[in-house]
Amino acid sequence: MKLKQLLTVACLSLAVAFPMAAQASGGGVALKHAEVDVTSQEQIRRGLTVFVDVCMGCHSAKYVTYKGLIDYPEIGLSREAVDELRGDSPLTSGMITDLSPEDAAVSYGKVPPDLSLIVNARRGGADYIYSLLTGFESDPAGEVPDGNYNEYFPGHRIAMPDPLGWLDHDEADTAELEAQANDVSAFLTFIGDPHQNERHAIGKYVMIFLILLTIVLYLLKKEVWKDVKH
Amino acid sequence: MLDKIMKSKLFGWVDERTGAEAIIKSQLTEYEVPKNLNYMWNFGSLALLVLVLQILTGIFLAMYYKPSAALTMGGYTVAFDSVERIMRDVNFGWLIRYMHAVGASAFFVVVYMHIGRGLYYGSYKGPRELLWIIGVVILLIMQGAAFFGYLLPWGQMSFWGATVITNLFGALPVIGGFLQEVLRGGFAVGDPTLNRFFSLHYLFPLLLVAIVGGHVHALHVVHSNNPTGLDVHEGKSTIPFHPYYTIKDAFGVGVFLTFYCYVVFFNPQMGGYFIEVDNYVPANNLQTPPHIAPVWYLTPWYTILRSFESKLLGVVAMGASLAILFVLPFLDRSKVRSARYRPVYRQMVYLFFVTVIILGYCGHSAPTPTLKLVGQITTAYYFAFFLLLPFVHKFEKTKPLPEEI
Repeated sequence: MKLKQLLTVACLSLAVAFPMAAQASGGGVALKHAEVDVTSQEQIRRGLTVFVDVCMGCHSAKYVTYKGLIDYPEIGLSREAVDELRGDSPLTSGMITDLSPEDAAVSYGKVPPDLSLIVNARRGGADYIYSLLTGFESDPAGEVPDGNYNEYFPGHRIAMPDPLGWLDHDEADTAELEAQANDVSAFLTFIGDPHQNERHAIGKYVMIFLILLTIVLYLLKKEVWKDVKH
Repeated sequence: MLDKIMKSKLFGWVDERTGAEAIIKSQLTEYEVPKNLNYMWNFGSLALLVLVLQILTGIFLAMYYKPSAALTMGGYTVAFDSVERIMRDVNFGWLIRYMHAVGASAFFVVVYMHIGRGLYYGSYKGPRELLWIIGVVILLIMQGAAFFGYLLPWGQMSFWGATVITNLFGALPVIGGFLQEVLRGGFAVGDPTLNRFFSLHYLFPLLLVAIVGGHVHALHVVHSNNPTGLDVHEGKSTIPFHPYYTIKDAFGVGVFLTFYCYVVFFNPQMGGYFIEVDNYVPANNLQTPPHIAPVWYLTPWYTILRSFESKLLGVVAMGASLAILFVLPFLDRSKVRSARYRPVYRQMVYLFFVTVIILGYCGHSAPTPTLKLVGQITTAYYFAFFLLLPFVHKFEKTKPLPEEI
């Protein structure tokens, strides 16, 4: 059958095109791999702690409400724990940093982006976040000041000054810092699409149902067509 | 089952007042279809299914979506916030929105397969010229609806994609500037653009429904082509649409839904092909993304546009590449329909399919000199395919046609 050839050609072209496109869009250094488990309540909670203690000094996650920290089973904090976190903010408010955009612009030259969707909004996703957090180096050319040179950031000059203190850290702290970077990547991956675990869980049943349905429909089709001569 | 319903008293009552029985007979149970249709003929019913899915999910999305570019905290807008509210806070909003976003791509997948089947088996040739032309109108309205819809989340790609495309109209002589301003509702893409695009995004699918009705009606007048391209006469080479093709289409729907739901539930962004990465960044009119590309289903035409140095020429070529589809039935002069029996045309049409895929790849990638050259060569073949058609039949030795299907 001729269409088979056609489909083969199409599939082969796509198979060639997809990885090439992925390469073209990545650009530059290969990313490090983040160890992220978005089904792990422990990791997401640890990531939340890093987020609140470190990231929220400058960044917000406006789409994540304090109430969400109670309601999402992946986080499931107690009301008391959330009350402690939110201070005077209402329960329905998003997680907003105390740093005003005006002050941020003065201190860092730009307003830090909201992190609710950061994993979805960057090529490489969680791997990119992890690489960025553990990618602060001294500029080999000596032009960019320490703390603003990051080999994973496009253009290498980043306004965010080394949040985890990766540059010149003690050898003994490496594992701890990598764990923090992993955990916060997991938290950010989770909040980028907080229904992803629910989606996968429902999806399994949907797939089983549809495959069974398709098999039944195929048998029915064969039965109806058995008298038609080709 | 249908028989039982049609014999019921209630149906008799309805039939007396509507003539339902005659319609069901002429369009379903006694509508004759060639018995040798292969699975490539399933994509028409699938396109109809996706259209219905898009309209249903779209109606529910419109209940929560707010078309406003008014700024909110963090550089976001009311429109962007309302989409995220659907994704996070509306019960099963994530499902409806992913179904709609993936559905847009799925619509083009099935429609491109449908068009490819029509090209390969010569379904555009007489007496089906008008059927094909209505189909091209559907394609154009679909592309318009998809383009309008992509602006609505008001992300970076929404904004800059709309800016680039509305800019194209500005390149037209005399009326260009006026047209561009009417499309945008101002001098730049902004809140008025978002509002009119939302309105049109709701209007176009309704137009689609009407024109798809016309497409199906035109089909039922001239009847389906088949893989041999022979004219089929009623009798032993045809079977009634119901139950044979209703059950075959139902099986096709099962296969389609399995793939579709796999993407919806497990990979809705499709690695940035169905929902682009940059569209998770809120629109910012002061910051152009490093690389602006339309979604995959528009990229072949985007490459044709980019293949010309002069903007006007590019716009004209892109318009021509779509407009030439209208005259295809009159360009092809061969008496044989199906590519099965047309060795030269078969090679040409295979090469055309590959060409469109390469064009799509070039349009999706960041421009490089090599890709530009590849784009230009494939653009040349895109047009050559159509322009050679009036002459192919003069030297093509067609294979003998079978007597019966």
